[in-house]
Amino acid sequence: MAESTVHASIPLVSVPKAPPLAERLRTTFLPRLLTGVALLLVWELVVRALAPAYVAKPTTVVMAIPRVITDQSFLKATGATLTAVAEGLAIALVFGTIIGLLIGRSTAFDRAIRHYVNGFYAMPMIIVLPLFSLWFGYSSATRIATIIFAAIFSIIVNVADGARSVPREYLEVARSFRSNRVSMLVGIVLPSSMPYLLAGFRLAAGRALIGAVVAEFFISIGGLGYYILYNSRSYHHNEAFVGVLLLAAFGVGFELLVNWSTRRFMPWYRRDEKTS
Amino acid sequence: MTDVHQAIRRYVPFWVSIFVGVALWEAAGRSTSAAFMVPFSETLRRLWQLIVAGEFFKQLADSATLFLTGFVIALLIGMPLGMLLARVRPLRIGIEPYIMIIYATPLVAVIPFILSMMGFGFAPKVLVVFLFAVFPVLYNTVEGARSIRPELIEVAKSFRSSEWALWREVMLPYTLPYTMTGVRQAIGRALVGMVAAEFFLSSTGLGQLIMGASQNFDTAGVFASILVIGLVGVGLMRLGLVIEHHFARWRN
Repeated sequence: MAESTVHASIPLVSVPKAPPLAERLRTTFLPRLLTGVALLLVWELVVRALAPAYVAKPTTVVMAIPRVITDQSFLKATGATLTAVAEGLAIALVFGTIIGLLIGRSTAFDRAIRHYVNGFYAMPMIIVLPLFSLWFGYSSATRIATIIFAAIFSIIVNVADGARSVPREYLEVARSFRSNRVSMLVGIVLPSSMPYLLAGFRLAAGRALIGAVVAEFFISIGGLGYYILYNSRSYHHNEAFVGVLLLAAFGVGFELLVNWSTRRFMPWYRRDEKTS
Repeated sequence: MTDVHQAIRRYVPFWVSIFVGVALWEAAGRSTSAAFMVPFSETLRRLWQLIVAGEFFKQLADSATLFLTGFVIALLIGMPLGMLLARVRPLRIGIEPYIMIIYATPLVAVIPFILSMMGFGFAPKVLVVFLFAVFPVLYNTVEGARSIRPELIEVAKSFRSSEWALWREVMLPYTLPYTMTGVRQAIGRALVGMVAAEFFLSSTGLGQLIMGASQNFDTAGVFASILVIGLVGVGLMRLGLVIEHHFARWRN
């Protein structure tokens, strides 16, 4: 179930030496730049030729950027959404890690709730919105609840995977030194499942963003998602699109941050190692 | 004898856990206000009403049509495109970062644009499901393409393998397991896309079932719909895992 299995076994034949800068410029950056320019050009031309004037296109979006990022309501909306995502993710991270460790290390716990965890994880998260809006009202509590619901199960599932795969010898050594259960969990199982936790967190962050946006659409409370909804309804597509760009930046930012910290702090861990 | 033991070990904890969960649900539902939470028995009763009234299967069929149309188009475009990117290296290197960016973007945010440009028909909803489903397929296929060792292609080439043989013997077996991981993820995302489209574009299918129930303060209806969509989700995920495992055998 965990997407962690994707890179499970890429053999590292040899670590290729990094090619010189000029070579990299030619083989990597140039194609990327050209493709990017081509994509933007196609977008611009198609919209100019076929779509009404209000539809977002690169030139008008770029012109809207300074206007939008100095707009107080946009900054407030961004702050509201980001705060909610951070709070929700923090709660999901703490409880998800605890539950995941318990599932991974206790058979009874695993048997009791694994089916529910897997079931909720497989559920399209946005169907709980009508229920949450009923429970928590049309307030920011619904948004936080949706973010937690969206994020927590990928953390639980991944941490449980990690806790299960702790090398048995580590635990045996700890046991023969009369370590107690709690310090084994905190001192051995948790650090050893860290890469899984990060993989789960990466998924959770993406899902949390989706949860926040969807909740704002649904209950119309102030935030980046609502900003996008409101502006595109009133045909301010360029302004709305700047919001989408920001969301994309957050999504990519989380991804890069997690990848970077896996490499930086867990160099012994090669699951995400790319061969090219 | 051991088979029986194994079966008991496997299924008894499962059913005990489900039974306890249902009992807790029932107890929680009975001890709170009916507008807030509904017991399991009440949920089933409401579900049965919806089934008998014929509405349920109509909405299920609506949703299934939407899901399948978007998903199949995503496969038909995502898989060949992914393979092409796998083969044409400069194209892959060029387009990779953009696929990654869109893959990491919460695509629900584009639904309002689709709404105001395409309105309320069937096509915009298919577009939403398609967008949700296509990027996992593409992303993972390209990921698989990166994992093909250049030596394999070089060896094939030096044995004068034809382009067709190269695709059949090297490209396909190497990328397909990854593509199937993408297919599994795409199933989950397409389901989210389906419900999102039914919520925020024109209201149809299972999405409408939930929305209608929640607007009428029919909590039992909300629970019944969530139960059904949840079970559909679990079933589809299982299917995705089976597909993935089936093809993963090729990987090593």
